Amino acid sequence: MGIVLRGITLPKKYSAPLELIEITPPTHVVLPLIQHLGEPAAPTVTVGQKVKSGQLIAAAPTDRSVPLHSPLTGTVTAITTTFSSRGQDTEAVVIEGKQIKPKTKPLPAPSTLSPAELTVAFREAGLLSPGPFPAPLIREILGPEQSGSRLSLSGTRLVKRTDTLLVSALDPEPCLGVNRYLAGIVSEALAVGIAALKTISGAERVVIVTDANLPLPAALRAIAAADEEETTRIIRLNGRRYPTGLPIPLIKAALGREVPLPYGRPRDVGVALCTVSAAVSLGETLLTGAPPLTTLLTVGGAALSRSGIVEIPLGTTIEDLVDALGGFTREPSKLIIGGPLTGFAHYDPSVPLGKDAGGLFALTEEELTPVGAYRECINCGRCVAVCPVNLVPGMLSMYCAKDRFEEAAAQGLFSCIECGCCDYVCPSRRPLVHFFRHAKHQLMEAES
Amino acid sequence: MSRTPAVDTTTLIVSMSPHVRGSLTVERMMGGMLLALVPTTVVGVYVFGLTALLTVALAMATAAAVEAALELLTKRELTIRDLHALLTGLLLALILPPTAPWWLTMTGAATAVILGKMVFGGLGTYPFNPPLVAWVVLKLSWPERMSSFIAPFTGERVLTPLMAFQEDPALFYAYDLWDLFLGKAAGGIGMVCGLAIVIGGLYLIIRGIIRWHIPVAFLLGVGLFAGIMRMINADLYPPVGFHLAGGGVLLGALFLAPEPVTSPVTPTGMLAFGLLAGILTMILRMWGSDPDGTFYAILVMNAATPLFNYLTPRAYGERMA
Repeated sequence: MGIVLRGITLPKKYSAPLELIEITPPTHVVLPLIQHLGEPAAPTVTVGQKVKSGQLIAAAPTDRSVPLHSPLTGTVTAITTTFSSRGQDTEAVVIEGKQIKPKTKPLPAPSTLSPAELTVAFREAGLLSPGPFPAPLIREILGPEQSGSRLSLSGTRLVKRTDTLLVSALDPEPCLGVNRYLAGIVSEALAVGIAALKTISGAERVVIVTDANLPLPAALRAIAAADEEETTRIIRLNGRRYPTGLPIPLIKAALGREVPLPYGRPRDVGVALCTVSAAVSLGETLLTGAPPLTTLLTVGGAALSRSGIVEIPLGTTIEDLVDALGGFTREPSKLIIGGPLTGFAHYDPSVPLGKDAGGLFALTEEELTPVGAYRECINCGRCVAVCPVNLVPGMLSMYCAKDRFEEAAAQGLFSCIECGCCDYVCPSRRPLVHFFRHAKHQLMEAES
Repeated sequence: MSRTPAVDTTTLIVSMSPHVRGSLTVERMMGGMLLALVPTTVVGVYVFGLTALLTVALAMATAAAVEAALELLTKRELTIRDLHALLTGLLLALILPPTAPWWLTMTGAATAVILGKMVFGGLGTYPFNPPLVAWVVLKLSWPERMSSFIAPFTGERVLTPLMAFQEDPALFYAYDLWDLFLGKAAGGIGMVCGLAIVIGGLYLIIRGIIRWHIPVAFLLGVGLFAGIMRMINADLYPPVGFHLAGGGVLLGALFLAPEPVTSPVTPTGMLAFGLLAGILTMILRMWGSDPDGTFYAILVMNAATPLFNYLTPRAYGERMA
C-alpha cells in the first residue's frame, strides 16, 4: 500500500459517474496549435485545403510540441486565434467536415517493433503528460539516450536513469473519471500501450496505481498476471483522496519518491509517468495505425442535464458539446475546462476542448462559493494540515496579499503545485491559489 | 441540430481554481464554539443562579455593541455576523467570578474587544487571546473583586480549591475530586463543571472546529508535571486529577489555548505550544503568586506563537544539501 499524503478526502458527490454518454459528433472543430507547456506546432495546411480524417495538419518540429491530425474529413475553413484550455492565446486550425474512420494500412504486431519504431509511433500519437499543466508526454518518457538531451524539461541535468514506469489509473482529481473508466473497459490496447511505454522509457519495472474504491479492473489483473518476470506491481490508493492523482503527490504516494521542487519533473527521480488514457491511446495507435483523433472527457455540473464520460473529436467546442448533450438545463455561472479543483474557467463558449481538456463542467450559482469576499487569515492552520507539499499556505497568502512576493518565494512559493487543497478548506474563504499564481506571475515578469 | 439557448456570457464568472470549496466558514467555527459552550453556561447558571445569566448576557451584549460602535466610528464593515464578538463576550463571562458586578463585566467585555481585538485590526490580527487580555486588566485593577468566589447553590463566600491549596497545601485533602469535576466546588461561572467543558470540547474536536493537538498536549503537560510532583511527595502534592479539574485548566485547554488566531499553525508547533503551556501552568501554580496560572500561561505562550510557527515541516522535495 502506498503512503497517505496530506490532502483532502472529497465527499462522494464529487466522484465522477463512470458511464459513457453517446453523443452525435459535431461537424466543426477548432484545433489550437499549442495545448501544453512548450512550443506550438507548425501548421502544414492552408485555408481552403481539403483534409482527410487522420491527416497531419500541424507538425511538431521538436519534442517540445506535439503533432496534430485532422479528426474530420472536410475542409480547412480558417486559421484563427482562440484560447487554449488554460486560457493562453493561440493560433488554431478550423475544420468543417464529417467524422469518418481513417483508412490505415495494417501495422505489424506491436511486439515485433523495435524501440526506435515504437518511438516513431509514440511521437506520431502526440500524447500529453497528465495533470493540469501537461507537457508533451514524449519529453517525460524518453530516456536521455533516445531523446538526445541530457537535460530534463526543468533544465536540470538528468543523472538518474528511468527505472520505473508509473501508470496511473487514478484521475488528476476525483471529479474526473476518464482513467478509471478506461481501466475498467479496455484491455488489449492498454496492455499493448503499457508494454510499448516500458520499452520506450527503458524502465525495468511497471507500477500501476488504481482506485481502491473500485473493483480491481480485470484488464490490469491480467497484465500483472501475464508478466512472468514479476516486474509489474499494482498499488491501490483511495481515489476519493485528493490530490493523490496529481503527478507530484502520486509519485510520493505510490513510490515514496519526492520530485525536487520547484520545477522538478518525474524523470528527475527516475520515474516515467503516464496515465491509463495515454497508454490506451498509444496502444490503439499501434494496433490501428491511426493517431488518436478523439478524446474522452468527463462532463458534469448542475447546468447540464447529464454527467458522465463522453467521447468527442479533438477540438470540439464547448457550445457544440453542450448542444450534443441537449443544451443547458439551467443557467450556468461558470464554464470550466478541466475539473472543478484544478480546471480553468472560461467566458467564451466557442473555446475548443483539446488534448489537454480532461473535463467540462458547467456549474450553477448554487454549486459555487461566492468569489471575492474573503477575510483576514485567522491562523487556524487547516491549510498547513492539508498541504501535500508541506508549505504554510496561510502565511504565504499574507505575504502575497501585501505584495511581498520575494518573501513568499523565500518561504517556498514556487514549490506550490496549485492543487487548491488550502483554498478548499480555508474557513476565511481566502483565494489562496489566486494569490500564489498572481505572485508567481509578478516574480516571473520582474525576472524577464 | 438545435442550438444551445443563448447563454448570457457576460454573467459567466471567471476566477482561479478551485471552483468548489468545503463547507467550513469562520461563522460556522464561531457558531460551533458558542454551541459547545452551552452546556458549560447552563451549568454555571444552574449553580450560581440568575446573576450568572445576567453576567453572561451583559458581557455578550457589551462586546457586540462595542465592536459595532468601533466599526461604525472607523467606517469599517460590521462584523457582528461572524459571531466572534459574542464568543469573546461569552468566554470572558465564563472566566469571571459569579459575584462580578455589572460594571466589572461591562468594563471587561469592552476591554476584550477594544484592547484585545480591535486595536490590532479585528479578527485574525490580534496577538493575545482577547478574553484573557480583559481578564488580566480586571485582575490587576480590581484584584479583590476578581477573587471573591461563592460556593455553589448556597452563595456563601468561600475560597476556590486552588486558592485554598495556595494558603495551605494540605487543604487539598478537603476536596473530593468528583466534586471538582461535577461542579460542586467554587470557581468562575464557566469553570466549575469539568464534565460540561469536556462535552463541549469533544464536540468541537469531533466536528473538526478545533484540532486535537493543543488540548491533548496541554492536558498532557499539566498531567505529567502534576504526576511527577505527586511521585516526589504524595503528602505535599495533590493528585493529577486535582490539577486537571481544578481552576481553568479544562476551559483553557479546550477553549482558550486552541483559539486559532493566537495559536501556532503547524501540528508540531501546536503540540509544543500546548505542552509548554501546560507545564508553565503548573510552574505558576506551584511557585507563582496567582493560585491558578492557566490564563497567564496561555498569554505567555500566545506571545511565543510566532516562534512556534518556525516549527514548519520540511517542505516537500526540498533539495537536501
